[in-house]
Amino acid sequence: MHIPDGFLDTKTWLSLSIVSGVALAYAVKKVGKKIGEKHVPLIGVMSAFIFAAQMLNFPVAAGTSGHFMGGALASILLGPFAGLLVMSTVLIVQCLIFQDGGLTALGANIFNMGIIGSFFSYYLYSMIKKLAGSKIFIIGVFIVSWLSIVLSASFCAVELAISATVPLKVALPAMAGIHSLIGIGEGIITCLVLGFISKIRPDLIDIEKI
Amino acid sequence: MEHSFIDKYSNLDSIIHRLDPRTKILSIFIYVVFVVLTSPNKFSEFFGYSVLIFILIFLSRLPFGYVLRRSFVIFPFVFLVVIFVPFYKFDNPVEIYRYGRFFIVWNVLIKSWLSVIAITVLTSTTRFSVLLKGFEKLKLPKFLIMCVSFMYRYIFVLIDEVQRLQRARDSRYFGGKFFLQLKVYANIIGLLFIKTYNRAERVYQNMVSRGFDGNIRILNNLKLTSLDFSFCIVFSLIILVIKILV
Repeated sequence: MHIPDGFLDTKTWLSLSIVSGVALAYAVKKVGKKIGEKHVPLIGVMSAFIFAAQMLNFPVAAGTSGHFMGGALASILLGPFAGLLVMSTVLIVQCLIFQDGGLTALGANIFNMGIIGSFFSYYLYSMIKKLAGSKIFIIGVFIVSWLSIVLSASFCAVELAISATVPLKVALPAMAGIHSLIGIGEGIITCLVLGFISKIRPDLIDIEKI
Repeated sequence: MEHSFIDKYSNLDSIIHRLDPRTKILSIFIYVVFVVLTSPNKFSEFFGYSVLIFILIFLSRLPFGYVLRRSFVIFPFVFLVVIFVPFYKFDNPVEIYRYGRFFIVWNVLIKSWLSVIAITVLTSTTRFSVLLKGFEKLKLPKFLIMCVSFMYRYIFVLIDEVQRLQRARDSRYFGGKFFLQLKVYANIIGLLFIKTYNRAERVYQNMVSRGFDGNIRILNNLKLTSLDFSFCIVFSLIILVIKILV
């Protein structure tokens, strides 16, 4: 759900741009201080990975197909700030190069997919892991990645509704409903991907989270 | 393998191509903000902005068909708004006057369309590395700029990788139950992640061994010329004239 320009009114896109800008500046400072330039290639190449993974389509019921968002996967594997940076890099490139999402709506898109879909997912995931123990962490992964899709879509609907572009009472249930189905796919895939990685390169699951 | 590189028209020569990237970034940003801030019932203003952007396309010698084709990406979103329009209930009559059903669709259609064309003109007339240098000179965080330039560099490599994995899957696997399909799909993504992580480490080692110190240097040193100043003045004057007089 990349919101284009003109879909949001001024108060919405301006305030979300400020929120995302501050969050992004903090993430840049935090990641830069911790590891420095070593993480430049990692985050850049991981952004390309998320982008390439989003190109793969998988079949959803009735002939339609969906694709993977990867926000939860990125933050679970790399950490909250790195996840936010990866998703923001993807969104900036999609905005500039592929015209997917608008310039003034970039802040809103980073808020929906970077902050809600990725940054927030990490903390939810570690909370569930702490509460439930690491034995059933796969259920936590499923819940978190399902929620990342549903919440991103719901925030998107609410922002559009605040801007008087869509009616809230219809759009929010519709968007949340459709995306709770898509989210099941995202959840299963994130679990399977993490299972696959922990089988083949278990050390990558435990890399330092930033 | 073939990729449609975004900046394939960036080596043309025109007034727009010769401008400093900073000039272009700021002008296009101002243009987009002005378009987005326009009230939807001001048809003549939108007409003025459309004429302005088509003059820019003409000056930049970009093929019209190419720009138009790229601008069609917004239509799925406009369609989404169209779906929801019949459900819109207006609580008070003032709102109907301000935003009728027609205005909701018109508002998003014209604004997103003009903005998308403007951004296409910006990114198609500038080499991507030069564009990023422009953003860097405009004081955006260097860390972020470098991440974006890395991503741009490796998108095409990874798309090739994805296509290889997909071809390998298609030649060995003939469909199956839904869950099995998901599993194959997830294995592809997992494999791609591992390959990508290894690649990131190799890239970093290679960069360090060639003396990377945290700066990316490009040959082209940006310089603001009189062309940039006159373009800025003319462009902002036109926008102001459209805003105030039309």
